[in-house]
Amino acid sequence: MSLLGWCQWLQHTFLATTITESSWLFPVIEGSHIMALSFSVGLIAIFDLRLLGLAFRSEPASTIMKQLAPWSLAGFAVMFVTGLLLFMTQAGKAYGNAFFRTKLTFLLLLGINAAVYQLKFYPKMMGWDLAEKTPAGARWCAGLSLVGWAVVIICGRTMAYEF
Amino acid sequence: MQILSVLQSFADWGPFVFLRDSKYGMPTIQSFHLMGLTVFLAITVAMNLRLTGVGIRKLSLGSLASQLKPCAMGALAVLITSGILIFFVNPAKYLASYAFRIKMGLLACAVSFHFVVLAKAMRSEPGSRKRSVNFIISAISLTLWFGVGWAGRAIAFFP
Repeated sequence: MSLLGWCQWLQHTFLATTITESSWLFPVIEGSHIMALSFSVGLIAIFDLRLLGLAFRSEPASTIMKQLAPWSLAGFAVMFVTGLLLFMTQAGKAYGNAFFRTKLTFLLLLGINAAVYQLKFYPKMMGWDLAEKTPAGARWCAGLSLVGWAVVIICGRTMAYEF
Repeated sequence: MQILSVLQSFADWGPFVFLRDSKYGMPTIQSFHLMGLTVFLAITVAMNLRLTGVGIRKLSLGSLASQLKPCAMGALAVLITSGILIFFVNPAKYLASYAFRIKMGLLACAVSFHFVVLAKAMRSEPGSRKRSVNFIISAISLTLWFGVGWAGRAIAFFP
């Protein structure tokens, strides 16, 4: 089965049609997807500000990260589940949509960006934990994260206008 | 009706017409509205987590409030500006919407509570008050702000 065929099949599964046909399930799932932005992307953005030296300069970077990460991850869990359900209901249309494809591409890039931070900078974090000016690479990761998430939000919002 | 006709004449102003008629005008402004929501709600969530002591315990409430204030105010400015633009693209639609009226009512309550009660609570550390007081303040703050968000979403689904 082709990827498009799979998307069309997904859109006609029992779960997808139940959500589509319900008058309240779709709004609740979509609303949750948007409200969870405040935990997932919003809290990550606060940590990015610390790495960029724009906030909490006198706090250890690791403290900001450890204090925010669990809540951010919980937010991402909600984003992932609700996003998957939203995709199911419109999979056939989303497949060919340029904004959806751009969104997925940037999610992948953001994943790589986060992995680079975790593997390359996180293990050595103790060395510059209290520094107001973090390593250039870590600042790059933070800047790319902010830009990347903005693109994801813009593409996510815009694709809804095309369905 | 008088108000609507005045608002409608605003809505016929060139830039609003351009926004309404251009393909990516509305998606762009809606995107900024969402980015503002993301940042503003995240800061509100962080402050409330600290206020109740449910999370973020290693940072002081004072530090959170002072460090995040410029961002919160910037995000609120983006939210309000983009919100006004969205409204003027179709004032008749929004004025007729119950969800919109509820959203504006909740917004007025949320902003008042934020700058009067929550701002006052942020000036002293949570330990100086009864835990239950912190929880009540937090519950009202989060209910009002997320209420504004949900009511905003409801405008699209229940016009």
